[in-house]
Amino acid sequence: MATKTKEVLESKVKDSEIEDLTAPDNLKVPAKPALKPVVVPVDKPVVYPLDLPESEIRLRTPAVGQRATRPDGRLHGLGQTQYIDDMTFPHMIFAKILRSEHAHAKILSIDTSEAEAMPGVLATLTGDEIPVNSFGPTLQDQPVLANEIVRHAGDGVAAVAALTEQQASDALTKIKVKYKPLPTVFDPLEAIKDDAPKVHAPHSNIYASKTIKKGDVEKALKESDQVFHKQFKTQMVEHVPLEPHSSVAMWDANGRVIIYSSLGRITLGRDDLARTLGKPMSKIRLVGTIVGGNFGGKNEITTEPILAMLSKKTGRPVKGTFTRGDEFISSTTRHPFVMDYTTGVKKDGQILGRKIRLVLDGGSYCSWTSTTLGKGGILAAGPYNIANLFVEAHAVYTNKTTTGAMRGFGAPQVCFAYESHMDDMAHALGIDPLEMRLRNAFNEGSVSPTGQLLQSVAIKESLQQAAERFGWKESAK
Amino acid sequence: MIVKLKVNGEIRSADVPPETTLLKLLREHLSLTGAKLGCDVGDCGTCTVIVDGESVNSCLMLAGRASGREVTTIEGLASSEQLHPLQEKFEELGALQCGFCGPGMIISAKALLDKNPEPTVFEVKDALSGNLCRCTGYTKIIEAVLDAGRIMSTSEAKS
Amino acid sequence: MKKRGRGMACMWYPIGFTVAANPSAATVKVNTDGTATLLTGTVETGQGALTVLGQIAAETLGIATDDVHVVSADTDATPMDTGAIASRTTYVTGNAIIKAAEQAREILFEAAAPMLSVKPEQLEARDRKIQVMGFPQQYKTIGEVAHHSEIVIGRPAIGSGSYNPPTVEMDPETGQGKPFSTYVYATQIADVEVDDETGEVEVLRIVATHDCGTPINPMLVEGQIQGGISMGVGFALQEEILFKDGKQVNPNLTNYIMPTSLDMPELEVEMVDNYDPTGPFGAKGAGEPTAVPTAAAIMNAIYDAVGIRITSLPATSEKVLSAILEQKAA
Repeated sequence: MATKTKEVLESKVKDSEIEDLTAPDNLKVPAKPALKPVVVPVDKPVVYPLDLPESEIRLRTPAVGQRATRPDGRLHGLGQTQYIDDMTFPHMIFAKILRSEHAHAKILSIDTSEAEAMPGVLATLTGDEIPVNSFGPTLQDQPVLANEIVRHAGDGVAAVAALTEQQASDALTKIKVKYKPLPTVFDPLEAIKDDAPKVHAPHSNIYASKTIKKGDVEKALKESDQVFHKQFKTQMVEHVPLEPHSSVAMWDANGRVIIYSSLGRITLGRDDLARTLGKPMSKIRLVGTIVGGNFGGKNEITTEPILAMLSKKTGRPVKGTFTRGDEFISSTTRHPFVMDYTTGVKKDGQILGRKIRLVLDGGSYCSWTSTTLGKGGILAAGPYNIANLFVEAHAVYTNKTTTGAMRGFGAPQVCFAYESHMDDMAHALGIDPLEMRLRNAFNEGSVSPTGQLLQSVAIKESLQQAAERFGWKESAK
Repeated sequence: MIVKLKVNGEIRSADVPPETTLLKLLREHLSLTGAKLGCDVGDCGTCTVIVDGESVNSCLMLAGRASGREVTTIEGLASSEQLHPLQEKFEELGALQCGFCGPGMIISAKALLDKNPEPTVFEVKDALSGNLCRCTGYTKIIEAVLDAGRIMSTSEAKS
Repeated sequence: MKKRGRGMACMWYPIGFTVAANPSAATVKVNTDGTATLLTGTVETGQGALTVLGQIAAETLGIATDDVHVVSADTDATPMDTGAIASRTTYVTGNAIIKAAEQAREILFEAAAPMLSVKPEQLEARDRKIQVMGFPQQYKTIGEVAHHSEIVIGRPAIGSGSYNPPTVEMDPETGQGKPFSTYVYATQIADVEVDDETGEVEVLRIVATHDCGTPINPMLVEGQIQGGISMGVGFALQEEILFKDGKQVNPNLTNYIMPTSLDMPELEVEMVDNYDPTGPFGAKGAGEPTAVPTAAAIMNAIYDAVGIRITSLPATSEKVLSAILEQKAA
């Protein structure tokens, strides 16, 4: 790529060459008809909204069922959507968070004095300074900034606010934290044992359990023509929203804090802020703009109380944005599952009974684990009529990244297990996988694993429709 | 150091520290926040802009190296009278969801269509392979790029 | 050698929180020209919630999608919402919006009734008009009615409402109860090619049939299905956070492999025709179910292609190849 010179930039002749639509004769491409790219004039760039015709579809009634275009879709394409990190406020400063490299350790001391002396640094913050240093949708077992024990590599321990992001990052390296490493446990099947190191001592690592019982599964297994068993495992994955978590906090002179945040749930967010900051809800304003991808990872507070405290200390708006690395190590992830399935069937493929054990890697803090456990447990048997069922599910703490809400709350994991298992049984019995499913699937009015009468059921319809569209019968080997 | 360059047809300049990337120059000094910071190391493509006709991860280019060059960002595609065909088709087909990958995706598509307005599906996928999207599964994006290419290769340009 | 295989997987998924209350509230204000503003505490997270919610409000008021301006995500100005989570927005917030819009609409009917010399119960809102049921030629425009109600009578057309899905607590020992108000169902079938010399799996095509009740905006439901499938493909074949002594080995997008445009199969997406009377205009939800059956469908297709059963995800090429070689050795 040749570097253009100063003359090029200021030359109007060069401008018109870029926009010229018809090439001079000696440069014309022969044979193929000349393709004329549409060149949109750049001398009238868009600053204010365009004056474009209204979308016809959006003007139709009735409204339900229309393939209406999104007004925010237009702004996205123009680059005019304001995400949190696009926002600036007068005198805004930047926060960065120091994260533990230890998976499990006692914090002996945190010394921020050298960091405070660094150029551009206006304030530091540790967990002790946060009025209520704990949060969590079910159990409030997670610190905003760890001040006693770090439970995973990535746990935040201190924060810095400085005039630039670079200055804040530089200052982080000067914060001195003394740790005493503690024994670690990483495998949920190890963590579930009584003698495993305790992640939240003195409590057991098993922090949530669920049971579903229907009929008599042992009897059903004995009466089956064949019993199948297999263990399935899934891995830890991350939401990877393209937009990293971002928030800006500021106060007004009446003691109200205003926070712009990429949080997907502002009502809950305000609850958490009221709790952690010890402030009445009427003094807290939480505003979202649009979230650049959530998938479950932006369903609880992360840095908001930290930014609010730093803003209070410095008297300036404070912005904090996760790096991509922070997204992986400090935001939540999907629970790895270990799933044991035992199913008894008749020769014709009808399922008589099913026994399931689920062990969830619950990470270092509870987050949305109870919900994942509950849903995973309820859905684990699959959309099938099974009169005799036993499901036991446990979530265990490990010294790894916090596992929380992620699109499906356990459903993708158990579906992988029950549908792989279904095919294994179909193949062993010599039954077509589609037939096997149709024989056992819910009907309108079927009873669910929890004894609920189901309405608006469409599982068989979806199977048949998909099979037809795919050409299932035609593509049989 | 002073960086002077042409952005969307306009001469712009700013005084920035030498380690400033083109992305930071655009977002923090020129108020062009269309290009996004998704990873800062050239993996995700949300920072894609066009420099001298080639699509570039602006987080990997130092602002100083863009000095004297012509940069096109998402803000330079539409005029006050019309959207760029890519913007029109992306909106019509619902190709963007959260929109964060949008500016980079559209710029990469423009860099492709400017050179090849009738690409194959594979050529589109290849051109966009450096732009990650988590929301859409890319399907409607690819349809929109192909449709925009059809407009661009057959219509008369307005000057 | 490349071997072809097909595999199916079906699933069920609930709408809303497990047993626990998860209400949404909404406010609808009709302007004096018949357009409206919807206030909702939900946050747009990219799925198009604000557009869909606007369509629901518009439908209830009998006006067009573009006539409704949606204001969201401000704890000072918008009513509470449990959030865009658990695929609940269309169903729960949608039902709350219908209640709010019906309340505003009732005020319009009460203003219009004497104008048309009928009782409020005889009126309906359609095509931007308040008209007499069965006698559509007897109408006033919604703008005329809204103006009359607010400016002449002195009753602005405003309504609020909230909704929480009815559930029944689950027994702590047997888990029996009614944890959710409704569920959605889906099937995905994958067509794959497995290279039995490298273990590489290419997903060529996926057919997806999803039940979401009434699709309020079919274009946006398709987008959810396509996006969910891309997450499913990543979950099946590529993505994994790796740890060494508790520290993540690949906390970056260079080494955390996730689907790019080149990894996406051809997608054929269809909605299953269904209607849920408990949902807003029969709608249920779509956000999460879309990512659920993909991995299983792909794993079943791998089995069909090369006869190996993958029991742990992701099915990387190393894992698939090693299983193929093990099978050959046996």
